[in-house]
Amino acid sequence: MAMKACTSCKRISTKERCPVCNNPTSSNWSGFLVIIDPDNSDIAKELHIELPGEYALRVR
Amino acid sequence: MEGSENSIYALKISAGQERNVARMLARKSKDSGVGVSAVLVPESLKGYILVESSTKIDMQNPAFKIPHLRGIVESKTKGKEDKEENTVTFEEVKKFLNPEPIISSIQKGSIVELISGPFKGERAKVVRIDESREEVVLELIEAAVPIPVTVKGDQIRIIQKEAD
Repeated sequence: MAMKACTSCKRISTKERCPVCNNPTSSNWSGFLVIIDPDNSDIAKELHIELPGEYALRVR
Repeated sequence: MEGSENSIYALKISAGQERNVARMLARKSKDSGVGVSAVLVPESLKGYILVESSTKIDMQNPAFKIPHLRGIVESKTKGKEDKEENTVTFEEVKKFLNPEPIISSIQKGSIVELISGPFKGERAKVVRIDESREEVVLELIEAAVPIPVTVKGDQIRIIQKEAD
């Protein structure tokens, strides 16, 4: 199953719509980020990510 | 950034396995309780991943026994306090977090090289730029007949900013 990234929150899933924010997803994305502990991560804070999971860095 | 004690380490990975290793590392660190809070795989950095961790990364730890993980990048840069650290500063990581679209630096008339696709290695001149779709229309320089080729902005590399 192709991985798709949400066009709004950049979360990666296999669904047509993001399971978290229900925005459409796109298969054209690049960069990969796994957030394990968003409360203790500077990277997550910089990108305003509050939920652990897999994210893309850029979604087109 | 506020004073957090997290450090960012660069790990060497077999080329092409960055995402798999990142996923495995995330799963393993969750189970074993290593202080890894984020794993970053920048597209522009082939063969490496960046790991944000509150504890020092010890390659002897079974949590880091992952196939394709080659080791930690040892840097010999000495800081002001003359300490040898293997960490990457957050400022350096920031530029990977917000990758600037390549297309914004391309101008009409630029000479570019195609880096992927059927015309890989060919040189071409930019004819038109479609910023909304991040596509460029190119004309291959070495082709006998000029044929317009449309490619995505990430498939080209700029050689010369603007030709005469």
